[in-house]
Amino acid sequence: MSPLRALLSALFLFVVFTFQESAVARINFPIAGFSFYLAVLIALMALEESSGAVLMGFLGGIILDLAPSTGTPFGQWALVLTLIGYLIATNRESIGDFTSRPGAFVGFVSIASALTLASYLLAGTLLGENNGSISHNAVVILGNSLWTLIFAPLVLPLLAKLRSLSLTSRERI
Amino acid sequence: MAGRGGNRSRLLLVILLVTSLFLITLDLRGVSLTKSSRSATQSFLAPIQKGVSSLFSPVGNFFSDVKNFGKTKAELTATKAENAKLKSQLVLSADMKGQLAKLRGALNLAGHGGYKVVSARVIGHGSASNFSQTLTIDAGTSDGITKDMTVLGGTGIVGVVKETTATSSVVELMSDPNFKIGVRIAGTQSIGVVLGQGDSHFVLQLLDPAGTIKVGDVLVSLGSDGNKPFVAGVPVGRVSAVNNSGASLTQEADVLGFENLNDLGVVTVVVAPPAHDPRDALVPTPEPTVTVYVTAPAAPAVAPSPGAGASNTPTPVPTPSATSVKKKAGK
Repeated sequence: MSPLRALLSALFLFVVFTFQESAVARINFPIAGFSFYLAVLIALMALEESSGAVLMGFLGGIILDLAPSTGTPFGQWALVLTLIGYLIATNRESIGDFTSRPGAFVGFVSIASALTLASYLLAGTLLGENNGSISHNAVVILGNSLWTLIFAPLVLPLLAKLRSLSLTSRERI
Repeated sequence: MAGRGGNRSRLLLVILLVTSLFLITLDLRGVSLTKSSRSATQSFLAPIQKGVSSLFSPVGNFFSDVKNFGKTKAELTATKAENAKLKSQLVLSADMKGQLAKLRGALNLAGHGGYKVVSARVIGHGSASNFSQTLTIDAGTSDGITKDMTVLGGTGIVGVVKETTATSSVVELMSDPNFKIGVRIAGTQSIGVVLGQGDSHFVLQLLDPAGTIKVGDVLVSLGSDGNKPFVAGVPVGRVSAVNNSGASLTQEADVLGFENLNDLGVVTVVVAPPAHDPRDALVPTPEPTVTVYVTAPAAPAVAPSPGAGASNTPTPVPTPSATSVKKKAGK
């Protein structure tokens, strides 16, 4: 991943983050909230090559750490999403190319969102935070996955197209 | 090639993990850089949130209305009649009217308690990406709001100011798992702590071993030193169930909050406490219930007809109505 591409990706993620914090967060979703930002970030990580996924995870995590509503230490999201990025990168071959399998892509993003939130909770527990009841957290994680499953099909094709447009001819090879 | 790529990934992973841990350490040690970066983000987001708030408010309310449909069905009929009457006079949008009602409730509560307050509009809810329960309001340090001030709704406590910028503040809701407030059972001296559970239910842990908790007990805030973060006398919630376990050292109870934290449009922030503790003055009084008792009409009385003895046919004589209506103010 070139520095310019990393910068552009970070800018794009910040725009998505602004949309998440100002618009999506304003909607009271039934069951639990929907993290549009997390869905977009995981989709981008899944489309990147291995070191790109790790870097994207870190940059995305730093941006998410900037959220004023976050009560956890700055860097916790960066830590979790870097690890998730690495997990995606190491399983790149078994995951394969998602661009031709939209159904699998949506399912993957939904499950990965749940895994990311669960890892975030685990990291919080290790850092000595009070995370509330397990049942409530389970509802939050499952609710987010459900909304991701519903809304991701609307966004992911557009995201995949945007990404393919942004690739240079060298990166396409 | 794959090996080189893998090594590069691992090296990058190690560098980024160390950086993340370094940032976490800085934050936990209280370095202001990390805190000010969140504050700067809040300053950047607040005007956008304000702009988008009016646009997304009806959508947000739509979802919450659908969610609360079962609960509000009974109120719907009454609201429909009221709505028809008001339609002819409608000048402001329904959304604005809702906010006005919430503001009136919040100001009433603050006025009764003698709190000096600043009212604010809710412009954002906490991100779904983390598990903290917060909301963002459109008033900040330029309105006299500082960290650790009590935030009120129309019927009780909402939360506490967690972060502030010049024009906006982040409020930690009482449903947040980290939220704790000292409370007193209204009418008694028993004190305890109410803990947020992540939803609309709270847990009361009674500190007084000799005290008793009953279902229906109203809890009011105990107040903090210097009235920060909590002023005294604000209604917190009502005990819905008592969990007395022989194994536990403290008595516990489930508490339902007075405020619907999913449906907040306007809140007030207490910027100055009252001169005197309002004690139990703000405990909500239940609406009087009208009970109507209807008794069956008495059996018709039989009276002899004129020319008694000529006929044995009984003639019914009308009696005064035996229906009585009693009105009772009950709890």
